Amino acid sequence: MTVLALVELADGRPSEPSRQALTIAAAFGSPVHTVTIVPLDAIEGFAPDAWAAILERATKATGASAVVAAGTERGNEVMARLAARMGLPLASNCTAAWPGSPVEVTRLRWGGSLVEEARLHSPFPLLTVAPHTVAAAAVDAVEVDVRALAAQLEPRDLAVHASAHTASAGGGVSLGEAKVIVSGGRGVGSKEGFAIIEELASLLGAAVGCSRAVTSAGWRPHSDQVGQTGTKVAPEVYIACGISGATQHMAGLKGAKRILAINSDPQAPLMLNADYTVTGDLKEIVPAISAEIRGRR
Amino acid sequence: MIAVQAVLLAAALCVAVVLFGRRALLLYRLVRSGKPAARFDDVPARVTAEATVVVGQSKLLQRLGPGLMHAAIFWGFLVLFPTIVIAMIGAVDPHATLPWLGSQGWYMLLVDVFALLVLAGVVAAFAIRKVQRPARFKGSHRGEADLILGLIAGIVLTLFLWHASQISLGLNEWPASWTPLSGALASLLHGPAVPYVERAAVWAHVLIILSFLVYLPYSKHLHIAVAAINVYFGRTRARGRLEKIDFEKPEQEVRFGSAKVTDMTWKQMLDVVSCTECGRCQDACPAYNTGKALSPKLLVMAMRDQLLAEGPKALASPGHQPPAIVPNAVTDDVVWDCVTCGACVRECPVGIEHIDHVVDLRRNLVMVESRFPDEAGAMLRDVDRTSNPWGRPQGDRTQWAEGLGVRVLQPGEPAPDVLFWVGCAPAFDERARKSAISTVSLLQEAGVDFAILGPREACTGDPARRMGDEYTFQRLVGENVETLNGAGVKKILTTCPHCFNSLGNEYRDFGGAYEVVHHTEFLAELVRDGRLKPAASDASITYHDSCYLARHNDVREAPRELVAAVGRPVEMARNRERTFCCGAGGARMWMEEKRGRPINQERVRQAVETGAETLAVACPFCTVMLDDGVRETSSKMQVIDLATLLHEAVERRKSS
Repeated sequence: MTVLALVELADGRPSEPSRQALTIAAAFGSPVHTVTIVPLDAIEGFAPDAWAAILERATKATGASAVVAAGTERGNEVMARLAARMGLPLASNCTAAWPGSPVEVTRLRWGGSLVEEARLHSPFPLLTVAPHTVAAAAVDAVEVDVRALAAQLEPRDLAVHASAHTASAGGGVSLGEAKVIVSGGRGVGSKEGFAIIEELASLLGAAVGCSRAVTSAGWRPHSDQVGQTGTKVAPEVYIACGISGATQHMAGLKGAKRILAINSDPQAPLMLNADYTVTGDLKEIVPAISAEIRGRR
Repeated sequence: MIAVQAVLLAAALCVAVVLFGRRALLLYRLVRSGKPAARFDDVPARVTAEATVVVGQSKLLQRLGPGLMHAAIFWGFLVLFPTIVIAMIGAVDPHATLPWLGSQGWYMLLVDVFALLVLAGVVAAFAIRKVQRPARFKGSHRGEADLILGLIAGIVLTLFLWHASQISLGLNEWPASWTPLSGALASLLHGPAVPYVERAAVWAHVLIILSFLVYLPYSKHLHIAVAAINVYFGRTRARGRLEKIDFEKPEQEVRFGSAKVTDMTWKQMLDVVSCTECGRCQDACPAYNTGKALSPKLLVMAMRDQLLAEGPKALASPGHQPPAIVPNAVTDDVVWDCVTCGACVRECPVGIEHIDHVVDLRRNLVMVESRFPDEAGAMLRDVDRTSNPWGRPQGDRTQWAEGLGVRVLQPGEPAPDVLFWVGCAPAFDERARKSAISTVSLLQEAGVDFAILGPREACTGDPARRMGDEYTFQRLVGENVETLNGAGVKKILTTCPHCFNSLGNEYRDFGGAYEVVHHTEFLAELVRDGRLKPAASDASITYHDSCYLARHNDVREAPRELVAAVGRPVEMARNRERTFCCGAGGARMWMEEKRGRPINQERVRQAVETGAETLAVACPFCTVMLDDGVRETSSKMQVIDLATLLHEAVERRKSS
């Protein structure tokens, strides 16, 4: 039984989620053929339909009986398009899968809040593997057959493609993925007051966040807003400077592992919910932290 | 001569009636093609509405100046109506008149007086439009209004001239002494030309009236024909009760709101063709007044224009697919700017129900197109998944009540006298929970037998419903009705006007009929009965009416009783049923206010103008919004719920 796996590259090597997908792929047979889509002239960047077309042709070329990809944004989209092309069902975001007829899968639904056990009735299983739910296979432990395939694309395969790339205006680290976030609230006082927040963030390699009060006042763009109606974040450390911690803000913080709050009001909800607190004027404390970091470097 | 004039009149009448009739028939067929709406019940309430809103002009008189202007013209025309027949008879035969009425002095006196009132009304209307130029006419067809006013002036002036020339010629069948105005005018008319003046005046009068009739159904002035009908078919049930979608019906019969104008109900079609573009809605709208895309007037006008453009095509060929209302007639922003505060509905003199239109557009966008402001998605998901809009664990619902000795009603236990429905905001929001804690202390103080549902309480679904997500709303209703009915709950007390409105007005559509009271009503009664004894302070307090209390549910006086019992009341300019929203209604609490100026800050400015020290509220969302507004505008006001103020006043009395 031959299995086809779509591998995405990160810095020229198979990405972590792709190697995790290989673990599941190996369970479905061997050898595992991998398809790695390297930039071609025709598909500069991401072109999901073209990728799906290449995969569809690869299944024929390899005689594969299943296709597995990582359940990344790209993996799920390409596989959904492949499923549509082949007229077959796709089981996305699987955390486990057992070959058979039908195939049995365990998969994440509703953004991970629901675990579903399902049967996939399909002569040709199409699966994506939820990232970071399966141990990554050591690549050499899987019998992998890497083969170059000639991509024959038709113009319609390129109907969807990335036409331009625009970096986020925030520069630096994106809020949703940041490991450390330095966030400012009304207590920062002004647009200019954010200079000390930005300074600390750059020293820590952190993203800058803010509360709704700050975006309402026009000090920061809405893309920086953390909360119910902003970005929901999940950093290792969230440093809240002059943020009282309204419910609207706290709703965006549920994923934060550690919270450090700096506020002049020790009774502010964020101070009561933080792991570490500093009571005092953030305009003194934040620059002091920055100075300390500089001094130690 | 009589025969010639009879033929001419018959011809003119035929042309006018045919032209009017063609258009009227089209409009009738259009409205009949609308989707069903249950508006034939409750005849007594409909007749009452007709008597007060149409005959009594109650909505118009909410603005005294323009109201009196309109009432003068409207009542004038009611009185002058028979003169149309009298004039037509007179046009044919100068010596004939309507039997009996045409020769009654008292009636002709009324005509004299009311014709003058109409004229005064027209002059006032021109003064308003040309001199005062209120902003509410922005976007209205002003030229159309000028033409109509000109026609009305023409009708009345020719009537005076005709009556005067009749008196001058001695053709009047009524005693001339009854009509001082026409008589005075007659004394100016002498000479051989007067018989021609008489003919010209009566014919001009009749022809202007017939032109008016023809122009009517093509203009915004159609309202004189349809407004009375629209008011009759207006909402007689609670204003805050949205129409239920029955998902049990066969799928093709379920109306997922309105995508196209042909999806509107017949009442909604009647609504849009009734609009007179007066702009009272626009003037009262908090979204429009803070520079947002929405104007309720322009929304209704845009839907009317699309209905009149596309409706006839759809009637002609049933397969015709009109373009979507959103974004062709109105943009997405317009639909999402609405706070469902109901100020427009309350103001509208012709009974247009704007909220139903907005909610229907939202229902289509959310349930069919899945298109809504991104940031609100988190709320919809959390309400569905965790039964509260902030995604907090249900297990944390009683955290606020720890150490307060509140009974959490367990399954199988007997129901308390009063179930305290806490609501999500008081349960989870730091600022909103103060009111719940104060309410509990007061209930305990007064010895009320109450309990809470704790983790068995789920969001009422109000924010989801106002967003247009009827699925999620109905799922939550099902769950809550099962819990409440299972527990044998009869009476519910809540501090949240949104819960109050949903539970009290909307749950009965889904098998949940309870007596629901707002805490301000309940606490005011405890004070009245002497079970709570507050001592008023001399602090000045201005009370902000929540839309879902004051406007949608007529709770206006109980909160004021409490304000008077705890401090010195000061009113804001916009109070009671004409209150100004805090900005959180219609699920706006969970959307970013990206356009215009923040509504909450605008309301805080209005409160600051009173000079009051305290801004009293009676709603957890108003608490959060206005407290934010106070901080954002760096004002010194304190935003405090009435329950907390009352609790302080009760403690004050004890310690004095």
